[in-house]
Amino acid sequence: MASSNMKDIKRRIKSVKSTMQITKAMELVASSKLRKARDKADSAKLFFDALYDTMWEITAENSTFDSIYFSGRDVKTVMLVVIAGDRGLAGGYNANVLKLAQSRIDEIKKDCSVVVIPIGKKAAEYFAKRDCRVVASYDNIAENIRMSSAKEIAAKIMAAFKNGNIDKVELIYTDYISPLVQEARNKSIIPLEKTTVKKGSNVQTSYEPSPEKLFEIIMPQYIAGVLYGSIADSFASEQAARRIAMENASDNATEMIDELSLLYNRARQSTITQEITEIVSGASSQE
Amino acid sequence: MASFRLQIITPEKIFYDDEAERLIVRTTEGDMGILARHESFAGALPSGPVSIMKDGEYRIAAISSGVIKVSAEKTTIIAEAIEWADEIDIEWANRSAEEAREKMKQEKSDKELRYAELKLKRALNRISVHSGNSK
Repeated sequence: MASSNMKDIKRRIKSVKSTMQITKAMELVASSKLRKARDKADSAKLFFDALYDTMWEITAENSTFDSIYFSGRDVKTVMLVVIAGDRGLAGGYNANVLKLAQSRIDEIKKDCSVVVIPIGKKAAEYFAKRDCRVVASYDNIAENIRMSSAKEIAAKIMAAFKNGNIDKVELIYTDYISPLVQEARNKSIIPLEKTTVKKGSNVQTSYEPSPEKLFEIIMPQYIAGVLYGSIADSFASEQAARRIAMENASDNATEMIDELSLLYNRARQSTITQEITEIVSGASSQE
Repeated sequence: MASFRLQIITPEKIFYDDEAERLIVRTTEGDMGILARHESFAGALPSGPVSIMKDGEYRIAAISSGVIKVSAEKTTIIAEAIEWADEIDIEWANRSAEEAREKMKQEKSDKELRYAELKLKRALNRISVHSGNSK
């Protein structure tokens, strides 16, 4: 009995060890991807900030300026852009962002209708199973996010807004705060809130073509920039979450191996003791 | 010659962050030269060449749609993509132009046609900047 027990334990140790190899590898991959994703998110932020500043300067310096993208329209349909991961095994990353999305949807549904654009395979799978109108979904774009894909999504959103199919656009993404902390967030993209004008200087800027035209040109880039930045941020969060999850898994595996080894040694010890007792008692009965 | 601070930002990186003496861009309304102490200005840039003069020497880059903002402190170009003339992958640009032409030949929706046209413009801009015929 003891030897079959030993075999069992040995098999379990082996299986835990091979799982640990996988989690270790995933941890390493995630941490190297995280570094890249961080760089990307950082430089995207600079780009986005510059665009944002330009846009606000246009609106701030032209007090008569108005656009359909400013608030002042009755909200009947809300579009929710949900950014989740393409893969699982990332701790609570996908679950957290989808949970926030669902609670936001439930809230909106009380008095408006909702359409969804999921970004990432996990988000697409989630909304396919639920009673939701999905306008379009995008898979496998987060890791190598390019401005062209962000622009494509932005164009889709803006077309729907211009047609009057949707009146408000919100974004659910995961904000990367630190390697240990990521937080699912909800951010409104359209309409733009007209902030109090910070008219500090009397600089008269000349615009080419007109401020309105320029705004029309910047707006798609701005929306694409928001998407690009949020996707980059979410991807960094996903990698960070996965790294932590895999680190924990590897730690647990080490612990399990230690415990199993202890059990194994004990079983081995007791077999040896038993054998010795048998031999000794066998020998003593010979005398 | 007086110089001014020029920053060129793309989503991927800061492409240029240095002093410049002269800058020539192609806006939607036409070519435009910028020297130090230019008036405040904001404009849209379609695909086109950008020439930057520093230490008396010009360097040319190909830009794919962006925005330029000139203020007293600095000049900023926010570009979707930009490459120096000598760093352009000419084979890729040629291929991309060819693809766009193919697409435009097929009967497509307005939207697809417009995308193809923009793609062709970007590719042709890269090719022309690369071969130095931009001026």
